[in-house]
Amino acid sequence: MKRLLSVLLALMMLLSMTSVMAEATNSNQLSDPRVRQALTHAIDVQAIIDSLMASKSTAAITMAPPGEWRSPNVKAYEYNPDKARELLKEAGWDSNRVLDVVYYYGDQMTVDLLTAIQAYWAEVGVQMNMRKLEGDLASQLWVPPSDPVNGPSAVEWDIAYAAVAALSMGDYYDRYQGGYSSNSYNPTDAKMDELIAATNATADVEKQIAAYHALEEYENEIQLNIPLYHQPVYIVQSKNLDRGGAPYGNDQFIYNWDIVNWDIAPDASGKKVLRTNGGPAEFFETPFFNPGFIMSQKVLFDRLIIADENLTPKFPGLASEYSLSEDGLTLEMTLREGIKWHDGEAITPEDIRGSVELATKAQTNPVILTTFKALEGYEEYAAGTADHISGITNEGNKMTFKFAKINPNILLAFTQFAPLPMKYFEGVEPTLIQQADYWQKPVGSGPFKLTEVKMGEYALYVPFEEYYGGKAKIDEIRMYPSGESDPNLVKNAAAGQVDYAYTKSVEDVLALEGMDNMVVTPVEVRYTRVLYVNKFPHQ
Amino acid sequence: MLSYTIRRVLTLIPMLLIISFLIFLGMELMPGDAVSYMVSPEQLANMSPEKMQEMREALGLTQPFLVRYFNWLFGLFRGDFGYSLTNGQPIVDILKAKLPATFELSFYALLISTILGNVLGILSAVKRGGKSDNVLTVLGMVGVSIPEFFFGLVMLLIFAINLKWLPIGGRTMPEYTSYWQQFRHVIMPASVLGISMTAGVMRYSRSSMLDAMNKDFLKTARSKGLPKWRIYLLHGFRVALTPVVVLIGFRLPMLIGGSVVIEQIFQWPGIGDAFVAAVRGSNYPLVMMIALLSVTMVLLASLLVDILTALIDPRVRLE
Amino acid sequence: MNQEYIPKGRAKTLARKMDKIDAASQKPAKKKWIQNRMLRKMLSNRLSVIGLVIFLVILFSSIFASILSPYPPGQISLKDTLQPPSMKHLFGTDRLGRDVLSRVMHGGQVSILVGLGSALGAALVGVLLGAYFGYKGGWMDSLVMRISEVFMSFPQIILVLLLVSITGQSLANLLIIFILTGWGSVYRMTRAKMLSIREEEYVQALRAFGLSDFVICFKHMLPNAIGPIAVNITLSTAMFILQETSLSFLGLGVPVQIATWGNIINVANNLSILQSNWWIWLPVGLVISLFVLSINFIGDGLRDSTDPTQMG
Repeated sequence: MKRLLSVLLALMMLLSMTSVMAEATNSNQLSDPRVRQALTHAIDVQAIIDSLMASKSTAAITMAPPGEWRSPNVKAYEYNPDKARELLKEAGWDSNRVLDVVYYYGDQMTVDLLTAIQAYWAEVGVQMNMRKLEGDLASQLWVPPSDPVNGPSAVEWDIAYAAVAALSMGDYYDRYQGGYSSNSYNPTDAKMDELIAATNATADVEKQIAAYHALEEYENEIQLNIPLYHQPVYIVQSKNLDRGGAPYGNDQFIYNWDIVNWDIAPDASGKKVLRTNGGPAEFFETPFFNPGFIMSQKVLFDRLIIADENLTPKFPGLASEYSLSEDGLTLEMTLREGIKWHDGEAITPEDIRGSVELATKAQTNPVILTTFKALEGYEEYAAGTADHISGITNEGNKMTFKFAKINPNILLAFTQFAPLPMKYFEGVEPTLIQQADYWQKPVGSGPFKLTEVKMGEYALYVPFEEYYGGKAKIDEIRMYPSGESDPNLVKNAAAGQVDYAYTKSVEDVLALEGMDNMVVTPVEVRYTRVLYVNKFPHQ
Repeated sequence: MLSYTIRRVLTLIPMLLIISFLIFLGMELMPGDAVSYMVSPEQLANMSPEKMQEMREALGLTQPFLVRYFNWLFGLFRGDFGYSLTNGQPIVDILKAKLPATFELSFYALLISTILGNVLGILSAVKRGGKSDNVLTVLGMVGVSIPEFFFGLVMLLIFAINLKWLPIGGRTMPEYTSYWQQFRHVIMPASVLGISMTAGVMRYSRSSMLDAMNKDFLKTARSKGLPKWRIYLLHGFRVALTPVVVLIGFRLPMLIGGSVVIEQIFQWPGIGDAFVAAVRGSNYPLVMMIALLSVTMVLLASLLVDILTALIDPRVRLE
Repeated sequence: MNQEYIPKGRAKTLARKMDKIDAASQKPAKKKWIQNRMLRKMLSNRLSVIGLVIFLVILFSSIFASILSPYPPGQISLKDTLQPPSMKHLFGTDRLGRDVLSRVMHGGQVSILVGLGSALGAALVGVLLGAYFGYKGGWMDSLVMRISEVFMSFPQIILVLLLVSITGQSLANLLIIFILTGWGSVYRMTRAKMLSIREEEYVQALRAFGLSDFVICFKHMLPNAIGPIAVNITLSTAMFILQETSLSFLGLGVPVQIATWGNIINVANNLSILQSNWWIWLPVGLVISLFVLSINFIGDGLRDSTDPTQMG
């Protein structure tokens, strides 16, 4: 009986699946899951990875990369051109249609990748044209239709090549909600919305994981978009550098670097100098939007809570103690005694509160922003009816953050959020915070302080003597202006001017691995390259 | 002479006004505005349209086109060059930081191309039709035929990466105590720029030297039995000087426009680099100022050439 | 003068010389197939002949690339990426396993189109405006003159960069931009030439005959200015081809998915390719340099042959 039941159940599931698979939701054939599955079957992603990327990426099945957050039940749509042709035939694909594929990266890798995909699709009778978007990308890429259920589409493209560098799992999936401010490609799907809501409804990690598994299985079943590959971040260091056993993590964000214990071979004059990239070209970037993308954001500013290498909040930082209540709605933190800004002034609870309030009005990372917007009294503060967010209170150094809504990422947000010395921001328009004079020579709270800067040439840092974690062993950090995935990184490394950096560019990595003095360590992170498929009908 | 100069300078003003309006109009027609470039594409999907609009308002980008133009223009008359949209810094400060670097690079490039070009030009004029003339002519043409950035990259590969004789880029290092240490950085970019400019100078100086050699007084001097080198160098060169001055005058604007590509290759923190970044980022106040500056340089240079030729050669009269 | 007077001494030799010249001019030209003095003179310049040969070889292998090239330019083969040159692939393969030689040949089509097309376009605009308004004068002439001054007061690269970012990147836009930035010099040169020819007697005579301005200007005056124009076209072709590569390097040229010389060589910007895959950038770099050099040789020969001060 039990067996019969399970067979029946399997049959029903199969039926329900095929019923999902069989229908196009609207007149756009791309809304037919079979077409998207066929397009995936047609691409030999592994061959592309092996040749173009020297096997340095992982083929993607879902947006979420492999690991405990990805369901073990998702299956890859393996390279199978025959199967692709069959599915396209079933779906009645119009072979005269030319897919409009857009991208916005200027690098050679993107063009090469899309050229390869173009060739693969041509094999199964799907034509595409690629074009690079210029100008106002947001209005060309991410405008949701006024009717998020039926369309018509508010953007022109059929397929957009994009990347997601996710801090939290929500960064991958929240955007799939029907009518979300950047969802220009997925028509509202009640089941999808329900599954996403479930992931945000709990602060319990086990329950979150289960909710994401269910979500990913649905995403995979209907092949909502075409995830291509997950890319590691490569940490590059010279053999002179000893990181003192500090773990390797996602260098695009902030984790337990423990840079005060790094050591480096002294130069001829006996000075220990760490050379790196990420020096400012025009200004120091604020740590609100990209919390730790650039080296300066990591060494200049400290965080209240410190995350481990997997970005799990774990250690005290500027807050010597912290605790989140059972219901996930109250966060208590004690500011460490005697902590100071680089100008010697004390870091106060007012600085913390002011920074949080400033961040809600500035351009801020979505994980941090969503968390702060969930604070009690945020609405009144945003509307201007209250001077402060009432959910933030303090008794001496003990600070309390009260939240109105459950949010899975409260602690994570505080591991990335950098408080700023508020006295430098009086009279600064919050939306133009980046244009403030402060960012020409910022005063931070981190283990190193800025001593000299020449915009576009170099920036010098020395250990901050009063740092609570102790004075760093390295005598000086020198940053040269080259960004992430910048060809200058390789040039500088070849000239012996890079002791530490990270890159996502496979081309850079290949060049760097060939250098005797450099060691490259890949780190798996949440970074996915994807073809978004616009399923709305076009006008 | 003075009244002529003043008249010429005055006619520059309407010209600059028209050009400034045209550039402003052009920037207006550009797809996207500064705000759309301030946010990285990966983060755009997370940024609400309202926030973008707020930023536009705060930067004054929502005002009508003409209002913004005249605000900018009146600011200019008050000596206010405006602020960069990306970092909020006064443009005067940015120019002060970037111009010296570009001037340094272009100065050496001009120096190299002038000396090399004149020496080789005179040499090939003196040996006209000979083997060395032919070789030099061909070499000069090869020099102008190689794409600048290709030349630059090959130099970089050889001298900085393989031989490690010269630094890979940049202009200075924090530990430098003397200019001579910094000088190593300018050698490669200035040589590449200078060599690619040499052929033009060479051709010019060759033909003006040929002209000069045909002049009667030189023939007389030769017939008097003066040593050849003296005739050529002292007398010939003086005659050839006018065209050379003209040439240098016309090359002055290269100080700003000529080094865009070279600055990119060698990470030279100059004005060309800043211009490319500003154009890409739709940072119109900065684009306007750099473009206007370069246009002014061109116009002033041609004025300067006129005045200098009149000074050197009294036969040239200014109307 | 007295008919019976028999020339003596120097005068005699002079007369003999004159007879020879007379006789020579009666005889058909030695190389009859080149009647044009300009062309003949150019062909006597060894460099410009070499230039012409190189130019034609590269031009034809680009034009007929679809017949001559060993592979389709877009044919990828992920199994044969980054192969060094071999008999199978003379210039090796790139990162998608495409045959570099085939790409260089096809890329030439676009690059030469950009270079030659822009130069011809700029010359057409410049010559038409310069010839007509140079001859007619009047307020239209001063207006066009002012416009050309506006364009020419920009350093070329600054103007091109501005225009590229205004119009966006496409092949057609690039052509238009090059024409916009290039017509000014041809215009001024043609105009100056026309101004000087305008005062010549034959023009006055033509006008007295009542010929239309248009005919006088384009049929009778313009041919006298054609030499420098031809030189200008060759030299600006070279310049535009070089500019296309510079713009590609700055990432502002023809869209990257279109193979052009600039876009092919642009991968040399990547240090690992620069260091270890020379066949991807060196041959195309040499082809560009050779092609531009050949045009410069031709231009130089043209200049010498049209410049009346360089007779002999």
